[in-house]
Order: sequence, then C-alpha cells, then structure tokens
Amino acid sequence: MTTAIGIDVGSGVIKTALFRIAGDNVEWLARWNARIRQRDAHTLVEESIGAVLEQSGLKRQQISYIASTGEGETLKGTTGHFYSMTTHARGAIYLNPDARAVLDIGALNGRAISIDEKSKVLTYRMTSQCASGSGQFLENIARYLGIGQDEIGSLSLQSTTPEKVSGICAVLAETDVINMVSRSIAPCDILRGIHESMADRLIKLLKSIGVNQGVVLMTGGLALDVGLVKAIQDGMDKQNMGTQVAAHPDSMFAGAIGAALWGAFRYQKLKERGQLPKAS
Amino acid sequence: MRSKSVKEIVDFCQEIFEDISFSKARQWKAAQPGRKVIGYMPVYVPREIIHAAGMLPLGVLGGGADMEVIHGDAYYQSYICRIPRSTIELAITGKLDFVDGMMFPSICDVIRNLSGIWQIMFKDKYVRYFDTPQNFKDEVGGVFYGNELRELKAGLEKLAGREITAAQINRSIAVYNENRAWVNKVYDYRAETPWNAPAAEVYLLMRAGMVLPVEEHTRLMKEYLLAAGAEQRPMRDNCRVTLIGTFCEQPPLNLIKSLEMAGCYIVDDDSMLVTRWLLEDVPSDGDPIENLSHAFLHHSAETAAKYEPNLEEKGNYMLESIRKRGADGVIFAAPSFCDPALLDQPMMVQRLEKAGIPYITMQYAENSGQMQPIREQAGTFADSIKLWSAS
Repeated sequence: MTTAIGIDVGSGVIKTALFRIAGDNVEWLARWNARIRQRDAHTLVEESIGAVLEQSGLKRQQISYIASTGEGETLKGTTGHFYSMTTHARGAIYLNPDARAVLDIGALNGRAISIDEKSKVLTYRMTSQCASGSGQFLENIARYLGIGQDEIGSLSLQSTTPEKVSGICAVLAETDVINMVSRSIAPCDILRGIHESMADRLIKLLKSIGVNQGVVLMTGGLALDVGLVKAIQDGMDKQNMGTQVAAHPDSMFAGAIGAALWGAFRYQKLKERGQLPKAS
Repeated sequence: MRSKSVKEIVDFCQEIFEDISFSKARQWKAAQPGRKVIGYMPVYVPREIIHAAGMLPLGVLGGGADMEVIHGDAYYQSYICRIPRSTIELAITGKLDFVDGMMFPSICDVIRNLSGIWQIMFKDKYVRYFDTPQNFKDEVGGVFYGNELRELKAGLEKLAGREITAAQINRSIAVYNENRAWVNKVYDYRAETPWNAPAAEVYLLMRAGMVLPVEEHTRLMKEYLLAAGAEQRPMRDNCRVTLIGTFCEQPPLNLIKSLEMAGCYIVDDDSMLVTRWLLEDVPSDGDPIENLSHAFLHHSAETAAKYEPNLEEKGNYMLESIRKRGADGVIFAAPSFCDPALLDQPMMVQRLEKAGIPYITMQYAENSGQMQPIREQAGTFADSIKLWSAS
C-alpha cells in the first residue's frame, strides 16, 4: 500500500490531493484548495498538507511520497517534483480514461497536451505570453462587469448575440470590453464574445498539435466555466473537428491528482530498487 | 580553528564570481612588487608553466550574465558567440588593465582571431595564441607541442626577466597535480551525493579556482568537502544527468540552478576543463616539458574541445563518464554559435542513441535571462526519465 500527496502550486490557487493505492485499488482520501492571494505559498502548502492529513486521519510519517507540480519546484518538504504537463496528463486519465488530449487553462496561461491511454505526453503547446487566454483575464473582465466569477459561465450561456472581442491581446480585449460596457452591450453577450475569443485560441492550440478526434478533457480552474466549455465545443463543431470537450467536477485537481499518482508510482519503482529518497 | 560552513564558502566563491574587476587577482598582484598576472581563456593552457614563472594564471571566462556589451559588439558579427565580445568589453572597460599577458588556446577560429585583435589593441601586453596538436603521435604532435611549450616558457621568461628552471616547473606540476586530485574528489563527491553538493555550488567553487592562486583553491575545496559532509541535506527524487557543451562560453548560473530545480541532478559536466583536462598525475621529476607534452598527448580528456582522430574512439569518454557517474541521461547545453560544441553534438548523439541513453539539446548565451523554457524542457526530460525509462 502506498500513500501519496500531490500539491499543485498554480499562479492563483494551490490544490492538494491525498491518495492511497493498493494494487489496482486507487482511493482519493482527501483534497484541499486555497487561493494564494498574496499569501506565502510555502506556508499555504504546509497548511494544505496538514489539512489533507487531518481529513484522511493519516500522519505525515505514513506518507510515502509528497510530490509537487506547477510552480512548486522550490517547495521544501517534498520528495520530488513533476512538471505540469506530466501531472495533468495523469490526472486527466484518472478523471476520464477516454481523454486523449488535455486543455489545461490556469490563471496565467493555457496549454494543449496530446496524450495516450497510459497518460504519456505525446506533444504539447502553450499559449504565448499574452494573458488573453487565461483565467486572470476572465477575472479582470468579471470585475469590470461587476459580476461574480461563479456567474460568468451561466451568464455566457444566456447570450443570444455575442459581441466579438480581440483574441490577440488582453489589453486590447479589455479596452474592447470597456467600450462595450459604455455602449450598453449586455454582460452575457460580452462574456460569450470573450469565451468565443478564448475558445478560438485554444482550438488553434489543439489543432497545432494534431488533435482532431476523441475526448479533450479540460483541466485547471477554467474547466468549471460552463460558458467556456460550451464555446469550445461549439467552435470545434463549427470546424468539424470530431472532438468532444469534457469537464469533470474535479478537473481543477487534475495536476494534484497526477502528482500524487505519479508520486506513488515513483515510490514503488524506487522501493523495488532500494533507492527511496526522503522528503525534505 | 573553526571550520567554515558551506554557506560561508559558497558566499566567498559567489563574490569572486560576481566580481568582474577580479579584485582577488588584483590584490594578489599588489601584495608584492613585480608580480605578474597572465589571463587565459578556455579551454586548456598549461598553468604549471605560468605558476613556475611566479605569475598568477587568471581564467578569463567572459563577462557573465550581467555585463552590458557595448564596444565588444563592434568587433564581431551577430552570428558569433558572446564570449569574445564580452571579453573585449572587459578589456576596453579597464577590467583587465592589471593583466600583463593573455593566452588564447586553440579552441576555435573565433578565439584564435581574438588573439590577433588583442595583439593589435594591446601592443604593450604579452599575447600568446597557444596552439595544441591534433596529431597525437610523439614524433609528430609531440615534437610540435614540445616546441609550443618551450616557446611559451621563453616568452614568460622574457616577461618575468628570469629563467624558469625545470625544478620550478616540476614543483608547479606537483602543486597542480594536488589541485586536480581535489577537483576530482569534489566531482566524485557530487556524483555520489548530488543533493549534498548542488551543481551551482560546485560550479562556483571551480570558478573561484579560475581567479585564486592554485594553493588557495585547493584549500578551499578541502574546506568545502569537509563542510558539505557535515551538512546533510535532503535527497530529492531527481534524475541524474551529465551536462555537455559548457566548456567555453559559460552558462548563466541561473541555468545551472534551473536544471537542478527542474529535477536534474548534474553528476558530471565539461565546465572549466582546464582543471580536469589531464586525466593522470603528471610526473613531477625529469624533463617537465616532455612530461607535460606526454600527458597532453596520451592522458587528456576526449571532449569536444580536443580533436579525436579515431572515429571509433569518439564518444567513448562521454559514455565512460555516464557509466562511472551513474547518469540517467545527457543534457547538451551549447552556447549559441559554438562551433566545437555544436559540431561535436551529432557524433555524441549517435553514440547515445546506439546505447539507448536519453538526451535533450538546448542552447544558451552567457547572458540568457529567460529560464522558463529551460526549466520546462529539463523538467519534462526529468519526468520522462523517472516515469518512462528503466531508471
């Protein structure tokens, strides 16, 4: 039996998952997430470990492997680190075994990853430095419109005449939105326009890595945005891609799940060789 | 006497590394009237002869990540690596004004041409283009190299205003034998316990050896090993890699840190080869010129910086280093436009592919600032080794 914690340090949120694995039996025992909001990430990570241990009733010394992912390379107290693509791929297969591509959209960038049935990353591509395909951008827009982040998706679904926004630059897009507000465009049409613009960029990413069939699982914080999921599916259908977008209620934990599962895998591999490292 | 901590030693080395005015070498020179400093560029010069002349060999490895190159760009085209341009910048801005002579080893055409530029620009300085043989037969390359060493000795004697005796060179050979032995001990220690001797620390320790007198550098390495052994640091689940291509223009320190941060313990490299060029002790008795020449011809490291006439042998040194150090893979990090590193790479890659050893390639300049792509590349390489290879 192996117990492993995965910690996904994103640029906006820290997600933590604790798993127990015995043969083919994989149990997700505990989860925790918190927005960073200018707090010290190292302290939050310690808090997160404490929280999942408390939820699971386990003690730290019973944990076989603590794996970090995302921006967590410098974290103290971890056994090893895996890169986001690797962990999101593993997390995606855990959440949806049919997934053959992942769209990981976090606070600062988006990434398309093509994977096989064993979670192996085949190829990937990221959005460029511009933030117009990211969660932070949507957060800013929600603030301008005076709506809550949890309202974005459902409002976007109500749109009947989406208003087109710049898909190239977050600054231009934000200017577009300010103009739209002054022209009294309905928030739902503004949001749908933004979703379509983001969907456009993300579909281009998927196509650039040759994804044109099968299930694309959305991971990262924006997977919960039903408006964006719908805009991506509509965009794919319009381009006859033959792909289905899927989101899972736990999609935002994909990185943490992947880190924990790969950590457990690594623990077994190293144990067989008598080369176990110690968490710092 | 209280032994130094790792932090104290590393801070001391970091200060030397960041000081592009070479204060330590200036202080050494100022401590006694008549002292002289001879600068040398990568990769290999026989420092023993400079030392025997009572002079300080000073490794000049470019201007580093933070120096702005303004004048240097006027001397070389944009498709030339950065080290010659930043080295000219060092000289023009007076950072090397205390250096009495410069040696330019035969690593590539660019550095050879730099020796010519130096002769024109700094007419009052001793300038030597130090040629090394590409024929390793005693009766051909040995004769050539012996003459090269004798010419170097004669030039330094003229500069010193005194003869450099065989006994003096033999004493210096012994001093450098000891230094090389401790360099190897540091490398062995890092390969055994890379979490206890991070690559950036070892790099700084070796860089200090480019500036400090050799005896002081040897003492520093002894202190480091003692201190590192006393400070047990946590072992992380990283893969182990050999870093190849960093022998001339230096990678930014952040690149080395980024590779390790990304999950790659560096267990061997080809940085500062001058400290490890010779693979065995050079006899410290008999004819020192013959002995140095023999060591170069028959006991020197086969890297991109040295011509290997036998294609069958090409890459054996790398494969042996991978085996000896227990590396899981290789990171080829070559300076942009570096002919020796980039021309060697396909031959090395061929050997790795045949042996089923994973590798990645990347390029850098000494002032590369964007490390995110490097972290991403090295990190996914580490993941692929940890999860998908037999390691």
